[in-house]
Amino acid sequence: MKQHKKGFVLWIAIVLLLLAGSLAAGFQGRTESVQEAMRDAVLHGENQIPFLGGKAVNPGLVSAFSVTAVLLIAAACIRAFAIPRFRHTPGKFQLAIEEVVGLFDRMAKSNSPHRNGFLGAYIFAVGAYIFVGTLFELLGVQAITTHGAPITLPAPLSDVNAAIATGVLSYLVIVSGGIAGNGVKGIGKSLKEFSLPISMSFRLFGALLSGLLVTELVYYFVNLSFVLPVVVGVLFTLLHAIIQTYVLTMLTALYYGEVSEPPHGGKAPKGKP
Amino acid sequence: MSNIPLNIDWQQILLHWMNLAILVGGLYFLLFKPVKQFMEKREAHYKELDRQAAQKLEEAEAVKTQYQQKLDGMEEELHAARAKAQQAVQQSTEEQLKEARKQARQIVAQAQAQAEHSKEKAIKDSHRELRRLAMEAAEMLAFHPEVDPFEQFLDMTEEGAEHEGR
Repeated sequence: MKQHKKGFVLWIAIVLLLLAGSLAAGFQGRTESVQEAMRDAVLHGENQIPFLGGKAVNPGLVSAFSVTAVLLIAAACIRAFAIPRFRHTPGKFQLAIEEVVGLFDRMAKSNSPHRNGFLGAYIFAVGAYIFVGTLFELLGVQAITTHGAPITLPAPLSDVNAAIATGVLSYLVIVSGGIAGNGVKGIGKSLKEFSLPISMSFRLFGALLSGLLVTELVYYFVNLSFVLPVVVGVLFTLLHAIIQTYVLTMLTALYYGEVSEPPHGGKAPKGKP
Repeated sequence: MSNIPLNIDWQQILLHWMNLAILVGGLYFLLFKPVKQFMEKREAHYKELDRQAAQKLEEAEAVKTQYQQKLDGMEEELHAARAKAQQAVQQSTEEQLKEARKQARQIVAQAQAQAEHSKEKAIKDSHRELRRLAMEAAEMLAFHPEVDPFEQFLDMTEEGAEHEGR
């Protein structure tokens, strides 16, 4: 009991010491107002980052390439070290990997029973991208803008270009499923859902941007930066990472299945999915 | 470019597409495909085990049916063998009984023959004794006339009877 009390006192002391230190260090003057910060979070007119030392791009693009690099490195490590050691009776890690792959594979198969090979791979990659990309903002990776000011890299999909790219690409995948499954009829079926690329893009953009704006707002004011970020920053981000991943992958799989479904009474076109 | 609202930049969209293409391809070859292949291989392995187990079960059922049929046949055979054995035992008993009766008859016949023979011998012996006595009586009559022949005969008879009794 005494040891527990000592530990508790030590923990409180460390917290108070760090608080005092942070208050004593003082705050740097704001370079922009909250209105400017939030407007820039949406439009990225000011805070841009030179991409590979060349053209200035939105921070979201740098985040997107960073997320891709992280995912591919992790996948390469798993491929090199974990997959060769997979056993028929899986351990915890193997079970987790199999569950993630199986989740998207099952989603593709259940929503598009006729044609799902490429769909499974696509929604797996996009799902991982949205989920990890959304959580990426929690890391607070810093970058230097073209003006020389530091900036925290946001979630890639809070950039409208990334959201449009993901939404439109998902729509193009759906169209390709329609063509592969039903030929010219499939194009017609897919074009009927012409609002899909806009709705998917702006759903992603809106969801991720709202998260970013709330976070920006909370972190802008020092007084709100102590306990609130635990809820706003971590729990909300985690929650909408899961929700957005589920929504986009599910919608893509659902529409893909719908447009690639062979007409009733007709024969399904031959060929691999 | 800059006239598009929300600062939409086609070049950046294309870069995002390139990024997504790299990601989709990379994750497919590095993770999705190998894990799925492993899972399919394992599924096939367990399906094969299941199939083998079902086949073995079927074989076992067939063997069981075969043995059941054999067992049923064995029971019938057992009944037949038991009946045959009982019949054989009964036959053997009857034969033995018959043999025993035959032997008994032989023994009785032999005993009767022996008794007959003993009787004949006894009669012969008696006749011989009577003849001897008659001879002796005749001798006594002839060679000793002073003795009453009837009394002498009775004495000799008594002697003869004592002699036989001993």
